[in-house]
Amino acid sequence: MQEKINKVIWIIVLLLILSFIGLFIYNKNKKEEYTAKFFYMDTYIYVKLYDINKETADKYIKEIENIYKKYHELTDRYNAYDNVKNIYYIKNNDSEEEYIKIDKELYDIIEYGTYYYEKTNGLVDISMGNIIDVWKKYRDNKNGIPTKEELEKANNIVKIELKNGTIKNNHPNIDLGSISKGYTTKIVGEYLKKNNINKFLINAGGNVLVGDKKQNKEYTIGIEDPNNKNDIFKIVKGDNIAVVTSGGYERYYEYEGKKYHHIINPKTLYPSNNMKSVTVITSDSALGDILSTYLFLLDIDEGKEYINNLDNVEAIWYTNDNKEIKSNGFDKYEYKTK
Amino acid sequence: MNIKLNKNDILLIIVLLIISIICIFILNKNDKKNKVATVYYNNELIKTIDLNIDKTYEIEGYNGIVKIKVKNQKIKVLEEKSPLHLCSKSGYISKSYETIVCLPNKIVIEIEGNDLDTVVK
Repeated sequence: MQEKINKVIWIIVLLLILSFIGLFIYNKNKKEEYTAKFFYMDTYIYVKLYDINKETADKYIKEIENIYKKYHELTDRYNAYDNVKNIYYIKNNDSEEEYIKIDKELYDIIEYGTYYYEKTNGLVDISMGNIIDVWKKYRDNKNGIPTKEELEKANNIVKIELKNGTIKNNHPNIDLGSISKGYTTKIVGEYLKKNNINKFLINAGGNVLVGDKKQNKEYTIGIEDPNNKNDIFKIVKGDNIAVVTSGGYERYYEYEGKKYHHIINPKTLYPSNNMKSVTVITSDSALGDILSTYLFLLDIDEGKEYINNLDNVEAIWYTNDNKEIKSNGFDKYEYKTK
Repeated sequence: MNIKLNKNDILLIIVLLIISIICIFILNKNDKKNKVATVYYNNELIKTIDLNIDKTYEIEGYNGIVKIKVKNQKIKVLEEKSPLHLCSKSGYISKSYETIVCLPNKIVIEIEGNDLDTVVK
């Protein structure tokens, strides 16, 4: 009798052990969501991967960080890095070479910027580093604003000239701030899709990119209320879209009761105040970043007409008198709470 | 029926007891519904804060101490060392999609939950 009971008990123990091994294996391969946070390009970058096991997630998060880090270094205007030819290197190059050879990644992003300089009639201008520097000096010292003369004196822009993987050594003062976050996010999205990681969300300082639906659900993305930083005024939904906001309310300094933000109009050389914010929805996060800056500098009517003539791009403006204006097809992205 | 327990049986019972206690603990942990804020330094979770308890916390940021205050289920940064003090100016947060980012201090505070996937600003 005693022996029989012992046998039964030991079988139970064996089953228990087996089920624990099973549970362990299940847990190890369990598909969950994993998040990561980085600080590059002077911004906070948030990445979330869905339906993925830990090992794969860790691997790709590391790769994603490497991409942001790489573009951070390439597009850094103020610092040199070992063995990196970045835009600081281009500006301060004192060699006799007529053209400097640069990495393909940097060449491509500069080329992208110069292409859209034409497309936006010069409003998205990556060659206006001199002007950005003047404003930065005042913003850092929180001491007054530059005079028109000072800005015009700095406005002796050196034209960027690219040729077969090289850039003319004429010390252009490049500022990729208006495109680097969206551009790099696009590169990261393409990298993930190429490796069959299709369900992801990236938020790189106002540049959101989402992949395929997760658990058959679209992503919900809130757009911040420019008047109340703890609130949102609109929720959009979708998959495989980029949502990019430009606004003057996030980064600014105050002088004599007036706010001066960081988006400078290259024509007037002063911050643009046509609206409080504008948000662009498109499938391409690099284009979204450029268009949000472009629309922020255009007046709203002009911008609305421009967007309504484009396919697959929508936008919503938040006006200075706190109204919202939407492009014609915006409603299909709007998330209505029940 | 008279069952006599020998040493092995007692050992087994103890092992089973321990396993079940561990199971209960694991299952319970996932079921917790407390309102919680999480604090990250870089990518590392450094603190989990129960928003039901009003209290002030001190956390080590990149530039030094970051003081955090919890009141009425809301959380905010009281003091930090940075040029523009954007994160101590940003005030209380309480909703799941809200985030406080202290860029110079590499500190991020989030509220747990899933009302929205993200916020663009």
